[in-house]
Amino acid sequence: MRVLVIEDEAELRTHLQSQLRAAGYAVDAAADGEEGFFLGSEYPFDLAIVDLGLPGLSGIEVIERWRNKGLNFPVLILTARGRWQDKVEGLSIGADDYLVKPFHFEELLARTSALLRRAAGIARPRLRFGPILLDTVTQTVQVDAQPVELTGHEYKILEYLMLHSGEVISKTALTEHIYDQDFDCDSNVIEVFIGRLRRKLDPDNRYQPIETLRGRGYRFTLERSPT
Amino acid sequence: MIQSLHGRALLAASLVLTAFLGMTGLVLDGAFRDSAEASMRDRLQGYIYALLAGAELDARGLLHGPEDLHEPRFNQPASGLYADIRGRDNKPNWRSPSAVGIEIPPTKASQMGVGTFDKVHLEDGTPLYVLSFKILWEEGLKKPRQYTFRVAETLDGFYGQIRQFRRSLWGWLGGAALLLLAVQGMILRWGLAPLRQVAEDLAAIEAGQARQLTGPYPMELRGLTDNLNALLDSAQSHLTRYRDALGDLAHSLKTPLAVLRGALERPTADTDIRPLAQDQIERMTRIIEYQLQRAATSGRTHLTPPVNVAKKAKQVKSALVKVYADKPVDCQFDIDTGIEFHGDEGDLLEVIGNLLDNAFKWCRRRIRISAAVVCEPDGKPICLEMQVEDDGPGIPENVIERVIKRGERVDPSTPGHGLGLAIVESIARAYGGKLAIHASPLGGAAIVVRI
Repeated sequence: MRVLVIEDEAELRTHLQSQLRAAGYAVDAAADGEEGFFLGSEYPFDLAIVDLGLPGLSGIEVIERWRNKGLNFPVLILTARGRWQDKVEGLSIGADDYLVKPFHFEELLARTSALLRRAAGIARPRLRFGPILLDTVTQTVQVDAQPVELTGHEYKILEYLMLHSGEVISKTALTEHIYDQDFDCDSNVIEVFIGRLRRKLDPDNRYQPIETLRGRGYRFTLERSPT
Repeated sequence: MIQSLHGRALLAASLVLTAFLGMTGLVLDGAFRDSAEASMRDRLQGYIYALLAGAELDARGLLHGPEDLHEPRFNQPASGLYADIRGRDNKPNWRSPSAVGIEIPPTKASQMGVGTFDKVHLEDGTPLYVLSFKILWEEGLKKPRQYTFRVAETLDGFYGQIRQFRRSLWGWLGGAALLLLAVQGMILRWGLAPLRQVAEDLAAIEAGQARQLTGPYPMELRGLTDNLNALLDSAQSHLTRYRDALGDLAHSLKTPLAVLRGALERPTADTDIRPLAQDQIERMTRIIEYQLQRAATSGRTHLTPPVNVAKKAKQVKSALVKVYADKPVDCQFDIDTGIEFHGDEGDLLEVIGNLLDNAFKWCRRRIRISAAVVCEPDGKPICLEMQVEDDGPGIPENVIERVIKRGERVDPSTPGHGLGLAIVESIARAYGGKLAIHASPLGGAAIVVRI
């Protein structure tokens, strides 16, 4: 999942960036409204975290411009003043949730993953597809009630495919959503990750959860079942 | 520029009065002069006719005035009234006895049969008013001859009359002007007295001797003084609230800071310090938020446009529906579209936001929000009453007091609960209203705010 952070305070921006990376997100960051708006319009982000009190183009204006361009990724706003006037303005212009500074990073993570799940149309933090159970809070995966060890990148790819189950996801799209723009990546790496995922999730080749569509990409094939 | 209203009105009134009386005087003076002049002409004309009637030819065939003149002044030398008759050669044939030794200077030639007036001066400078009358005399003559009859009167009496009239005229007018000005000044003093009183009362307030404009003031000033009173009230309560809130802020920040410092000074600080430090920092954050919110509350505003309550409540509701998108909530709306709030928009949003946020957080499925204007029996609006209900667990009676008490929270596991209500209560108090918590028929809490 690729996240954009727009925050003018350098320390908080760096902190958010490294913490979100540690939590398994691909993170791009911008220090002001103009740069943030540009990044958000040019790259396929899954979510943006926008500070309202930005220099130049304000957070509200950035969100409004994105929405006017038809960009619908979820937006979480950060506000220093807890005034409802600001919150209501931000939410009615197109933001999806708010956090008042200072906040606990755990709270930010919980809101972020809730917004991502909601954007995918899934209300609960645990996703079950046949024998595979994915917990977006603890970032763990079980197959037939047995825990499966995945690396960070393997988890990210699996989560993205499961949140977009049934859709064909190209290798490029997968790369863009897994890595931020600082990362230089060879598309073969994705093939390697998919191969490893298949071996770990389905060693006996019984469910075949990930389908390869030659020249087009990958598709998560299992039906979603209640958790 | 004269700064005082009294001075301006007095100056304007004096100027108008002076101009009016001055012009009246000039017109009266002119009219009197004209009429005096006219009566003098009539008199002189009368004398001419008397001379004509009594004139007769002498032995040499020259025309003489009558021997017996009725007007005694014609017989009295240097009486001021003179007459003469001149022939064609312009030499006097006859003079009245009063004109002995006095030559009436030549005057403008007159037309036949028409009296002509002229003003001339004697040799000694005495002004003289002369009426000349030219005739053709036929009686007792073969051939008619031309004669000019002249009657002259010195202007001393005329001038004396006018002087006397003027003296009394200007005397009376001046007296009347002084009297009117004095009355005018008193009327202005009396009429503007309320303004002076307001100024004095304001000075007393400035000096700290009074807190309000007490009056009574006349109707025209009441709008001004009532608004000033309201302004004074809100400014005073504002000031008090600022002082309290900032004082509280300073005081309540000291305790957690002291705890934090104590914990940090312990030798074993490294491992067990974090949760404690986190907890205290959290406390400080909440205190700052609450107190600064209190300081920011603007309270009842005057002369500002009213805020539509239903519109603002809908905005907050749709914002919260987004935030609580995972929770299906049935939010029942019972607010008339015409209801207005007379106060700060930010304060209203703060109240609705905190109440609805709590309701969304605690409800199981249902929320009901209603608003109404509370009126006095005569229909004058007093305040706005809002009620937010939910079907959540409610607030137990024994903790209600603590919930409302500032900054404290009932359930530490749900951040923000107590703070929201404390903020709403503080705003309600700033508006002279209050917050009450009941049990709702929906099953949870019913929170009623009057602002």
